[in-house]
Amino acid sequence: MNHPTRPTMDPTAPAADSLISDSVARLFGSRVDKAQRERAEAGELDAALWQQVADSGFTLLLATEAAGGLGLGWAAAYPVLRGLGAWQVPLPLAETMVAAQLLSLAGLVVPDGPLTLIELGQCPGLQARAEGSGVCLTGTAHGVPWARHAKGAVVSLGAAGAGGPARLAWLDLTASAGVTIQPQTDAAGLPADTLHMQAAHCPQVASLPMALTEPVFTLGALARSIMMVGALEWVLGQAVGYAGDRVQFGKPIGKNQVIQQNLALMAGDVAAARMAALVAAGQAPGGDVAAADAQAAAAALFGIAVAKVRCGEAATRAAGIAHQVHGAIGFTHEHALHFATRRLWAWREQFGTDAQWAARLGRAAILAGGSGFWPALTQQQFSGLR
Amino acid sequence: MQGLLIDPGSLPPECAALRAEVRAFLAEAMVHIPPVRRNRNWSGASADFSRQMGERGWIGMTWPARYGGHERSMLERYVVLEEMLAAGAPVGAHWVADRQSGPLLMRYAPDTLAPRIVPRIARGECFFCIGMSEPDSGSDLASIRTKAVNTPQGWVINGRKVWTSGAHRAHYMIALVRTDVRTDVRTDVRTGERGENRHAGMSQFLVDMQTPGLTVRPILNQLGEHDFNEVTFDDVTVPHDCLIGAEGNGWAQVGAELAFERSGPERYLSSTQLLLEMLAQADPGDERQAVALGRIVAQYGTLRQMSLGVAGMLSRGENPALAAALVKDQGALVEQAMPDIAHDLFGGRVDPGSTLAQAMRYATLAVPSFSLRGGTREILRGMIAKGLDLR
Repeated sequence: MNHPTRPTMDPTAPAADSLISDSVARLFGSRVDKAQRERAEAGELDAALWQQVADSGFTLLLATEAAGGLGLGWAAAYPVLRGLGAWQVPLPLAETMVAAQLLSLAGLVVPDGPLTLIELGQCPGLQARAEGSGVCLTGTAHGVPWARHAKGAVVSLGAAGAGGPARLAWLDLTASAGVTIQPQTDAAGLPADTLHMQAAHCPQVASLPMALTEPVFTLGALARSIMMVGALEWVLGQAVGYAGDRVQFGKPIGKNQVIQQNLALMAGDVAAARMAALVAAGQAPGGDVAAADAQAAAAALFGIAVAKVRCGEAATRAAGIAHQVHGAIGFTHEHALHFATRRLWAWREQFGTDAQWAARLGRAAILAGGSGFWPALTQQQFSGLR
Repeated sequence: MQGLLIDPGSLPPECAALRAEVRAFLAEAMVHIPPVRRNRNWSGASADFSRQMGERGWIGMTWPARYGGHERSMLERYVVLEEMLAAGAPVGAHWVADRQSGPLLMRYAPDTLAPRIVPRIARGECFFCIGMSEPDSGSDLASIRTKAVNTPQGWVINGRKVWTSGAHRAHYMIALVRTDVRTDVRTDVRTGERGENRHAGMSQFLVDMQTPGLTVRPILNQLGEHDFNEVTFDDVTVPHDCLIGAEGNGWAQVGAELAFERSGPERYLSSTQLLLEMLAQADPGDERQAVALGRIVAQYGTLRQMSLGVAGMLSRGENPALAAALVKDQGALVEQAMPDIAHDLFGGRVDPGSTLAQAMRYATLAVPSFSLRGGTREILRGMIAKGLDLR
């Protein structure tokens, strides 16, 4: 069975940035197929597809112009990241886009090729020790996306002292001694490797002029949220289309009220996830949003936390309904549904689950208290959000 | 799926000053309203509070000046609505008139009834109730039987309306009745077949609640509160000029009225007082509480942006019917989950006299109505399914 892109999906792309949306649809719609998705799950990175994506400029979309990037913000990146979900593109493009943004802002070189991400504070088994002007990493990092194919990882080290800027290190994965990559996969079957490090040396540490304390984790969560929206929109279109096509008891199953009600619920979840991700993308640092502005960063952090929770919840509910509507055929490997639903299950986990981000939001709201909650909500920032 | 898309809205700078003004007003006006009464949200009513809002220009905000309106934007109106609801202000007396009756009169009786009545609505002096549902007509509104007969003295109405919120304090009802009984062709209960013209022959009337023959009887809800009523029409004669719009055009008009009712950009805030009570009592070090409350915060953050998006559609003159149905469906899920979450986190462990306990008790009993009023969950999802081209 091929991978239908139903015409109903097109209007769900945001109106803004239609130029980028159009080229995303052209490239992903014509170049990504089931065979590529399956090869990625066998551990391969499709070099030709990667090159086409790199040639399109997407990898450097968020990187500063000084570093040779496009210097655009997350609102412009939204259609690209959404496309990764809507067409289930098997590439480490989101990771590379975030890495390039952070490296370029920190004044570090942005290497060609796929890049990956590590947030030190989110790896309980990993330690960094200062060594010269750089750091040495020792321990284990789990779930590092596509590490086996990456030129290197941007490692966010957190701030040196309280209130200081976040610091970044560059871990070369092609040459660094002391790194062993153990292949692992996520729920989507895509590379999410375990890195074992023994005094792996990162020669350079740079401070990052961005007011997010965990830039990799936070922007990674934003990227995954937007990717989930793409997958959700595709799953909704697929389920609605299937309900209209599949005939049982002499009529399309979508004529049954119980199926209509479930799909309507799904449409609400998808609309909510989309809104949360769009708002978060509009507030995220980069492009026209000053990265070093603490006020802007507080709003961005709130928007991203909301988006990761809401998209994760929508993923859970929508995947369940989509499979129920599809019946047995949707449970087969042959059918394309699982390429999207398995990604939803993988992405709701990565860069913080909805429960983890909800805990942060909840603590901040409890600190704001009964009288502080509503003013903070209308300001779209909670001073206690960490 | 076009109608199901909601793009983010944003508030223009003048909204910040307005918001500050509303909060300053609420800080004083709400001192006299005990926390337990704030739980009533827009079911709470105070004629005095409505009059104060009218004085400040916060009723009929977007209406033309010739009707006593204030010609402000839909987004400014949105700010006032969300601040009032978040505070649990008793806005219920004028709520229906501001939301749907005033707009309906301006659209369908612009030169006759509207100039007489609408300025009084805007001043916060004139309250309305909705005369749609009947004992045998809930979601299936086209099956109403209350009828009006044209006589030289006026239209004579006989029949019965139920679930009429606020009828006991309203000055007027806008009643949907049958004016051509020949079209009273109801669904055949055995075959399920519908009569051909079941949407024809209905009309809307402005009914003065003081008219002889009209009886308002309270129907207490499961909270023991008097909100809705049964309104009986026993040869109630209304003047000819109280026919709203065209005779026989009632079905189209009531559709427009329901669109006003359902397009409110603020339909997720009804359980807010319980959320605030939980936040006041919760322990930031308790992971379970933080996760559960944080999920609600994420829902609020998203629903507020969706509501703002609907307000933006209204301000651009777009039809927000489907988008608003999505927001109301999602909003009701959050509103209704709240007392169960409170039960999970705090049940059995709160001082029964505390404001948290009162809010829990109130919300537990109140929330079933949130997916019934203004179109049931099933009706709204049916509309959404239509938007998905499933029916």
